[in-house]
Amino acid sequence: MKIYGDVLSVIRTEARTGKIILTRIQLKTNVPFDRLKAYLSELEELGLIQNGSSLKLTEKGQQYVVEYEKVIDFMKRMGLIYR
Amino acid sequence: MNNDIMILAEIISAILCFILVRFMMKPYQYTGESRYIGLPVGFSFLGASYLLTGFALYLETSLFVEDIKWLQLFTQAYAFAFLAATYYFSKQTLKPNTRLWWQIIFSGLAVGAIASYLIVFEPPPLALPSYKTVDEYFRGLNIILIAYISVHTLRSHSSQPDPKTIWIPLGYILLAFGQYSSLIWSLDSSFSAFVGAHIIRLAALLIFLFVAYQAFAASQNETTSNKGS
Repeated sequence: MKIYGDVLSVIRTEARTGKIILTRIQLKTNVPFDRLKAYLSELEELGLIQNGSSLKLTEKGQQYVVEYEKVIDFMKRMGLIYR
Repeated sequence: MNNDIMILAEIISAILCFILVRFMMKPYQYTGESRYIGLPVGFSFLGASYLLTGFALYLETSLFVEDIKWLQLFTQAYAFAFLAATYYFSKQTLKPNTRLWWQIIFSGLAVGAIASYLIVFEPPPLALPSYKTVDEYFRGLNIILIAYISVHTLRSHSSQPDPKTIWIPLGYILLAFGQYSSLIWSLDSSFSAFVGAHIIRLAALLIFLFVAYQAFAASQNETTSNKGS
């Protein structure tokens, strides 16, 4: 679950800076490239991202990542370590 | 202190705990990791324990008051045990071994809670120690468990200092002081210790609620206002 949230979070951040480059997502999430591709296709199946001409979050993906970041922030505030 | 005010304080504490459960559920919902289920379970038990205290105060002279007091004692101790276990396992790297240990501890606590409740309603033929003595020991145990959580949250705060993360250790420290005041009241029937215990506990629960509000509702407002502008 954590890796999905992290990948979506990175896609959201990267989308703000411009074009999304897979190697940058790979570096930031620290997962091997083949596994990242597998995660991306799973996220696409879940309807959280669109992997057409360029990678982008769907409305559902946007909502998920916003909620995910809030939960991570809450856990940090609660003193819970999530790894 | 007026009995009605005391009942009201217990009911407010229970309501605050049950509101908190809604927020405490989210880490488990979003991560899908069973080690975080102890957070909502712990706060549910805590809320139930305050409700039981309120109920015991309301019934006052009923035959069941003693049973309810024993139930409250066990429920509160299990609440802090669940919370402490959650914090302990949150710092562990998630491995199959850690998962197994969490499942063993969680199941053990759940079975222990059920067994304790059975003892209250079906006491063994052996003579049980007096309620007052057990109450004092349990308060001591609660203080130890909350102290562990406080240290854990303080360490977490000091590893990545952030003004947002100092509130929760403060909340747990206040909960520990609340238990300490209750212990003092149990030992010397000091009125100020009794009132202090209630006030400190309410302050602690309000801090937890403030943190949850800041994390969810306040950021929700920010998102909405950003969309609007």
